Amino acid sequence: MSGVHDVGGKPGYGVIEREANEPPFHHEWELRVFALNRTLLAAGVYNLDEFRRAVERLPEEVYERASYYERWLLAIEELLRKKSALKALP
Amino acid sequence: MSARFVVGDRVTAPGLDGSGHTRLPGYLRDRRGIVIALRGSVPLADDRAEGAASPRIEALYTVAFEGRDVWGDACEPGVSVHADLWDSYLEKTT
Amino acid sequence: MTKPHDHEHDHGDHDHSLHGASASMSGRVDALVTAFEREGVLHEGDVDRAAQAFMRGARPENGARVVARAWSDAGFRARLLEDANAALDELAIDMSHWVRVKLVALANTRDVHNLVVCTLCSCYPVGLLGPSPAWYKSDAYRARAVREPRRVLAEFGVRIPEETAIRVWDSTAELRYLVIPMRPDGTDEESEDELARRVTRDAMIGAALAR
Repeated sequence: MSGVHDVGGKPGYGVIEREANEPPFHHEWELRVFALNRTLLAAGVYNLDEFRRAVERLPEEVYERASYYERWLLAIEELLRKKSALKALP
Repeated sequence: MSARFVVGDRVTAPGLDGSGHTRLPGYLRDRRGIVIALRGSVPLADDRAEGAASPRIEALYTVAFEGRDVWGDACEPGVSVHADLWDSYLEKTT
Repeated sequence: MTKPHDHEHDHGDHDHSLHGASASMSGRVDALVTAFEREGVLHEGDVDRAAQAFMRGARPENGARVVARAWSDAGFRARLLEDANAALDELAIDMSHWVRVKLVALANTRDVHNLVVCTLCSCYPVGLLGPSPAWYKSDAYRARAVREPRRVLAEFGVRIPEETAIRVWDSTAELRYLVIPMRPDGTDEESEDELARRVTRDAMIGAALAR
């Protein structure tokens, strides 16, 4: 289903900003989210498509306002709630 | 599930019904393209996204779409778009 | 060209962040990791080790080695285009840190220029190219690359002649694409190491030419 994530060909976007000498991650927490996701995928807590789906199901305004790795964090939190992997989220 | 298409087949991409996760981008829905490669059989992303214990295993294809057929005559010249699409996303056409 | 929305929020420290500054993001990640460790899903240090292994192993130098070999060795180039995963095994690049995916190599020529995107999310061969840049993950790139690749490339400073076709590859499944840029003229005498230094990450996405 087309959702807010399905942006191929969507009009209205301008210049693609590119940062010179961009670091691999802008913040340590972003690398940790990346590594956390990898580790959870490897452990079979969820699969990649479940993860993508969780990102896609973020409310539109949340998706648009969140940074890229914030979307990941929100998705992982939601997945865990859904899978009851954690009895109580912090 | 055996592959329904071979390289060279003309296909359209109606996609699957349903409101769940899919890997058919909206801009390719119902567009006409040509199968240019077979990429083996892999679990259907739509099923995996639901956490299905036994996702359907389907043939995966790379399909080429002419830019004009996707975006209309205003498309930049000499542009084609390719996507990797599952068997059940596609239908044969002429 | 006006934009109705600014969609290029790819950094974690901007004031518009829904959940505040990066310190709070850090706290949330830490809390999740701790909670998982408590649940036994993760063991202490797993995430840190995964992060370190990834940063050590997933680097654009890997992809550059593949390209340099393809430029130097016609047989390898042919094998790479035929079956990239098998060809990669010949180079003994340590892939243990990343999930094995099906790789497809795409050769740029005078007749064809290839450009890779993932419109639905941001799929990308991290093992060969390292972490993806923010621009690749941006909504703007994902929206525009499939629709107006010539204009996007021109904005990136890459002029593709009109006679050269542009093929855009949308990574919608678990295939990952590696672009083999054209070898620059006048490099016949160069070693593979020298050639590899000419190959940038952006060139292996199709968003730049080799140096």
